Amino acid sequence: MDSNQKRFVADVLDLLNELDEGLLQLESNPQVRAPLEQVFRTMHTIKGGANMFGFTTIGELAHHLEGLYDLVRQGKMQVTDKLMSITLQAFDKVRDLLKEKDIAKINGSNALQEYILAAKQYHVDDNPLLANTTSSGQKDELVTFLLTITPTIKLTPDGNHPLLFIIEDIAALGTSRSLMRLQPSGDVQQWLAFIATTSPQPELESYFLFVENECQVEYDRLTTGSLFELPEFSGFLDQVVNDSLNKEKLEALIKLHLERQKQQASMDIESDKDVVERKKSSGNDSYIKVNKHKVDDLLNWISELIILQAQLTTTAATVQINTLTEVAEQLEIVTDRLRDTALEIGLVPIETLVTKFKRLVRDLSKQLDKKVNFLSEGADTEMDKDVIEMMTEPMIHIIRNAIDHGIESPSQRKEAGKTEHGTVKLKAFNSSSYVNIIISDDGKGISKDAVLKKAVEKGIVQADADLTEDEILELIFHPGLSTATQVSSVSGRGVGMDVVKEKIDELRGAVTVKSHLGKGTSIHIKLPLTRSMVEGMLVKVASTRYVVPLHVIDRIDRIAYQDLLREDKVDQMVVVNEHPLHVLSLRKFFKEEAEVPKTSDIISMHINGVRKGIAVDKIEGKIQTVMKPLGEAYRQQDFISGSTILGNGSLALVIDPFRLTF
Amino acid sequence: MTSVATNSYLTFSLGEEKFAVPVDCVQEVVELEQVTKVPHAPEYMLGIINLRGKVLPLLDTRLKLGLSKTVPTRKSRVLVINLGWEEKHFQLGALVDTAREVVEFTAGDIHSAQQIENYKAGAPITGFVNRQGDITLIMEASRIFTTADIIQLEHSAHINHSTHS
Repeated sequence: MDSNQKRFVADVLDLLNELDEGLLQLESNPQVRAPLEQVFRTMHTIKGGANMFGFTTIGELAHHLEGLYDLVRQGKMQVTDKLMSITLQAFDKVRDLLKEKDIAKINGSNALQEYILAAKQYHVDDNPLLANTTSSGQKDELVTFLLTITPTIKLTPDGNHPLLFIIEDIAALGTSRSLMRLQPSGDVQQWLAFIATTSPQPELESYFLFVENECQVEYDRLTTGSLFELPEFSGFLDQVVNDSLNKEKLEALIKLHLERQKQQASMDIESDKDVVERKKSSGNDSYIKVNKHKVDDLLNWISELIILQAQLTTTAATVQINTLTEVAEQLEIVTDRLRDTALEIGLVPIETLVTKFKRLVRDLSKQLDKKVNFLSEGADTEMDKDVIEMMTEPMIHIIRNAIDHGIESPSQRKEAGKTEHGTVKLKAFNSSSYVNIIISDDGKGISKDAVLKKAVEKGIVQADADLTEDEILELIFHPGLSTATQVSSVSGRGVGMDVVKEKIDELRGAVTVKSHLGKGTSIHIKLPLTRSMVEGMLVKVASTRYVVPLHVIDRIDRIAYQDLLREDKVDQMVVVNEHPLHVLSLRKFFKEEAEVPKTSDIISMHINGVRKGIAVDKIEGKIQTVMKPLGEAYRQQDFISGSTILGNGSLALVIDPFRLTF
Repeated sequence: MTSVATNSYLTFSLGEEKFAVPVDCVQEVVELEQVTKVPHAPEYMLGIINLRGKVLPLLDTRLKLGLSKTVPTRKSRVLVINLGWEEKHFQLGALVDTAREVVEFTAGDIHSAQQIENYKAGAPITGFVNRQGDITLIMEASRIFTTADIIQLEHSAHINHSTHS
């Protein structure tokens, strides 16, 4: 494969994700124009590229399927379950095929023939049947509205008033953007909501039924079609945020939009240029693709800058020249911002994951004959690309468990007084330097008794052990328990959860589980924003500094160093906070003999559900820093996950507590 | 040995002995600053150093070549060496007693190391130059870590290698 072909493959993989997203939207909302157009365009782009770069079978497949969707666009055919399944499966095959590096093998494979045939057949079978349906006439028209919502009561944007949620709900009806104006007091003065939707005006009005007394709503039907397709429109919206609404400008834009619509109709839709044009305008922001190495390089240079800046600050403090100190302080602010921005560059929204999960839920619920809705919230939450890739499998596992063992069959749900449709929900959000992902379901929950019984049987816990509910639930992550296949049918969870936990630990994240019998389960995953950021406790052992990741630390106690010396072993039991604790002395473990301290600080940690401690000479404080790998020469030091450069230019080693075996 | 013809070499000394490495694999020469010890590493790995924001492992070249442990002095220098190793590239600091100069050797200047007594195949010393009794040993950077070392490194790792490096 030459470089163009490789790039094509990378692009198609992106396009396939978009296509999946579009198809799923289309399936749940067959009357809406936008996803259909997107699906058609994406297929068209794939077809064009495939033919241009010599992927003939993929081109052929895309050609036939595109033809079918064109008929749908023209209103001559409807989207059916069958068409949807053929399309999804066909492009899944394409995705598999593209893993092959040899183009001759891709073209020679007959994996796609079945689908090409199915697409051709579909043409013949279903066309005459559907030609006389009148679906297109009934289809709701896509219209762009401007809603001006003026609250008549005092309302803060972060408040809890239903109106705030109504505006969010309205925004979800189509392509939309709502702008908020605030009064100097901080209260909301007005919202301007632009929505391109197929919902008719009465439907929009119905949303405001219950808040009639609290606000005034004006409905302006701006134009047919979506103004958001106009590239100039987003610029216009950006201006509205600062100035008042410029009616003349808006009218000019509508005029322009109508002209373009006419042009579009007369123009050959097949023109590739058009596809590119519209693709560009489909988002408010523009994106560029950058090689990951360049971002890594940038981060490396910034780390150097941070170190130089720290040196400058130290120097400025010693020479005591005011102007120099000032410059150093300014530089510190700028470098901090630069670091934050650069770290953000490496982050991508978890949207692609969400699309994958939608697909998984759809396929799995069909397969298992269950009715499941998948809801997602915060798909724009950003995370490090590597972290997303590493987390994909574990999260698929969690969702699979939720559907397979969590959600009951429709009849069981009815009996339990629940709705037939179960819900699996993914919620993502940021908190400080962490990303939180909560996957919850409203299924039957985990039976704590069954988990405990199994754990006792397996000898993981003592029969008379006094465990809290949370501790019992923690057990599902225990390797001994979760590989036992039997548990899945008893408790509803368990297979391979230890692997999930392992992956999360590796990323220095945390996972907790909550479950109510009969009501559902929720799994909360907390991950650091990027793999390279560490938040930890800086500690000292002899002359070397180490960083212990903060998320495993429970408490810190200071004891006399003599208490650690009772035994000759590197690890021993020490009484801390009136409880015995298994403690590893880093000083002994690392064979450090110099600078014997008077006291020792014991860090209590929880590792794989077990409480353990490590003894260090002294805690120096909390730090947040960028971690660098130690490299090939220290591959065997796997209890050290990396190193980090401190403000004064010296190095500290980052400890991986999960690999400190004792 | 034709590839060594008319190449530039950086010479350095370990005690009384003079050595040379191809200048292409030396990125720069820096002074020895603070070293951070990494626990449980082979003795010839001194720790890590901070090269302008980059973390480099530091090798005690003397120990690695079977001489006595380096005693750092004001003349001690660190050669920053680029190593290619099974398609992976990594950098390493090699601690030497003094860094000397860049010299040119032609292929004819260099005698094969196999003439040296007790020569071991695969050792980092691949040849020597004799200029009127002034002997310079030629070292090949990529052989600093021999297969035997890698095996030894793997052996000392009792757990698996799914590291973060």
